[in-house]
Amino acid sequence: MQKSVLRKSIEIIIFIVFIFFLFAPLLSLGIWSVALRWYWPHTLPQKIGFDYWLQALGITKSLTLGAVNVIPAFLLSLGIGIIVVIITMAIATPAGYALAKLKIPALLKGIILILFLLPRAFPQQPVFVNLMLMFNKIGLTGTVIGVIFVHLVVSLVYAVWITASTFSSIPPELEEAARSVGASRLKAFLRITLPISAPGLIASAVFVFLTSMDEFTGTFFVGLPFVTTLPMTLYSASGSNIQFASVTAILLLIPSILFMVLIQRFLKAEYLGGMGG
Amino acid sequence: MTNNLRSELVVRENETGVGVERPRSYTNILPYILVFPAVMVILLLYLYPFLASFWKSFISKEGVLSLANYEKTLRLYRYDILFTLGVTVLSTLIATVLSILLAVYLRLSKSWLANRIGILYRLPIFLPFVVVAQMMRSFLAPHGIFNLFLAKLDLINIENPLQFFNWTGLTFGFVWKEAPFMILIILAGFQMIDDSYIEAAKSVGAKLPQIITKILIPMNKPTILIAVTLVFCSLIGCFSFPYMLIGGKTPVTITVDIAHRVNYFGDYGVANALGVFSYIMVSFLAIYYIRSMMRKGLYD
Repeated sequence: MQKSVLRKSIEIIIFIVFIFFLFAPLLSLGIWSVALRWYWPHTLPQKIGFDYWLQALGITKSLTLGAVNVIPAFLLSLGIGIIVVIITMAIATPAGYALAKLKIPALLKGIILILFLLPRAFPQQPVFVNLMLMFNKIGLTGTVIGVIFVHLVVSLVYAVWITASTFSSIPPELEEAARSVGASRLKAFLRITLPISAPGLIASAVFVFLTSMDEFTGTFFVGLPFVTTLPMTLYSASGSNIQFASVTAILLLIPSILFMVLIQRFLKAEYLGGMGG
Repeated sequence: MTNNLRSELVVRENETGVGVERPRSYTNILPYILVFPAVMVILLLYLYPFLASFWKSFISKEGVLSLANYEKTLRLYRYDILFTLGVTVLSTLIATVLSILLAVYLRLSKSWLANRIGILYRLPIFLPFVVVAQMMRSFLAPHGIFNLFLAKLDLINIENPLQFFNWTGLTFGFVWKEAPFMILIILAGFQMIDDSYIEAAKSVGAKLPQIITKILIPMNKPTILIAVTLVFCSLIGCFSFPYMLIGGKTPVTITVDIAHRVNYFGDYGVANALGVFSYIMVSFLAIYYIRSMMRKGLYD
C-alpha cells in the first residue's frame, strides 16, 4: 500500500519535471511573441498584444528596429520547398524502386548504398562550404537555383531511403502476378505497385518538403545574403528583435509539428533524426 | 523461389513469342537508368565537395601543397576542437542516460501519466534546430524564464542570474532536442522484448536495476549504439544552434569557426582543415554506422 503511494508520487514528480522542461522553452517563445513590454524581473509581461504578429505578417506597417515581414520569406520557402519536392521525388522514386526491386550487382549496390549513407554519417557543413566554392565559379551562389540544388542534396538521401523501404515492403508476387497476365513492367508498376506504395511516397514527399522548409546550414552558405528563406529570416531577426524572432520561430514550427504528426507512423524512427539540422 | 518464377515467366514469354531480345536487354540496363540521376546528383553535389574538403585542406593560401592550414588550425582552434568534442560527448552521454531511463519507464509503466509522456516526448524531434536555438536564446537568457523560475524558487539571487550562453546552454539544447529522438529509437527496441522475459526475471527476484542492466540494455545494444552514433554525428556537425547561441563568444564549436573563417576571412584552407577535424571526430562511429546499416539492409 505504502509502496504504491511512493510509486505514484515518484511518477507525478517525473511528470511535472518532464512537462516543465518540455514546455517551458516553448512557452518562452509564445510569451515573447506577444510581449509588448516585459521588464525583468516581472513574472509576466506588463503589456501584451498581437502588434508584432500583425507587423510580421505585414498586416500593419512597422517602424520597429529589426522589423521583419515574414510573408515574402514564407512564400519563398514554400516555393523552394515545392520545387525541391517535385525534383527530389522525380529522382528518388525510380532510384528507390531500382534499389528495392531490381537486380543490381552486389558490388555496385554496395557502393551506391555507401554513397547514400555518407551524408548522414559525416558532418555536412564542410561540404556546403565547398559547394559554395563550386557555385561561386558558375554563378549559382546567392541564387534561388543554387539553394534549390543544396536542398536537393540534403533531402535526396532520405527520399531514396524512404521510397526504397516503401517499395521493398510490397511483396514481389503482386507485380509478378500482374505481369504473368500480360501487363508490361511499367503498367504493373503504375497499376499495382504505385497505388499500394502511395502512403509511403506521400510521407517521403512531406519529409522532403519539411527538410527544405527547415534547412539552415546549406542555405546559410549558398543562399545568404540574397536568398532569405524563413530560417534565414529567423536567424537575422534573432540578433536584433526577440519578438519578431519568436513570431518567426512559431511560424516555422507549426508546419513541422502539423505534418510530422500526420506522417510519422509511415516513417522509420531512424529517418526522423535527420530533421532540421 | 522468386528466381524460379521469373525464369518461368521468361519461358512463357518465349512460348507466346513476345519479342525476347529487346525486353531482356532493356531489363538489364533498366536499374542503371533508374538510379543514374540520383547517383549523379550525389556524386556531383555531395561526394565531389566532400572529397574537395580533404584536398583543399592541404592547399595553402599561396596555392601549394602544404600542412600550413593544419598548423594554423591547431594554433588557433586547438581549444575549440577540444571544446566541440567535450560538449558533444557530454551531451550525448546525458541524452543517452536520460533516454534509456525514460524509455525504461515508458516500457514498464502502463499508467495514465506514462501514456501522456509517451505521446508528448516526441515533440522536439520535429522542431528544426533554428527554432530550438531561438527558444533557448529566450528561455536560457540571463533575464529569461528559466532564471526567473529559479529565482522564484529562491535557488538563485535574482540580481545575479546564471549564465547559460556557454557550454551549459549548448548541452541543455542538444539534450532537449536529441534525447527524444533517442527515446524513440530505444523504446522501439525495448518494445520488441517480450513481456515474458521481464516477468521471468521478476519471478526469480530481479529488481528494476537488474531488469535494466541484465535484460533491457543487453538485448538492445545494437539499437542503443545506433542511437548514440546518430546523435553524436549530428551534434558534431550542428551549426545553427551553437552559431545562434554562442556565435560571438569563445570558446565556440568548430562549426562556428568554419563559418567565421569563410565569412570574415575567405580562408577556405583553414575552414576545410577544421572540416577534416570534424570528419575525424565522427570517423569511428560513422564507419560503425555505415557498416551496421549495410549489414542490416537499409530498407528491409
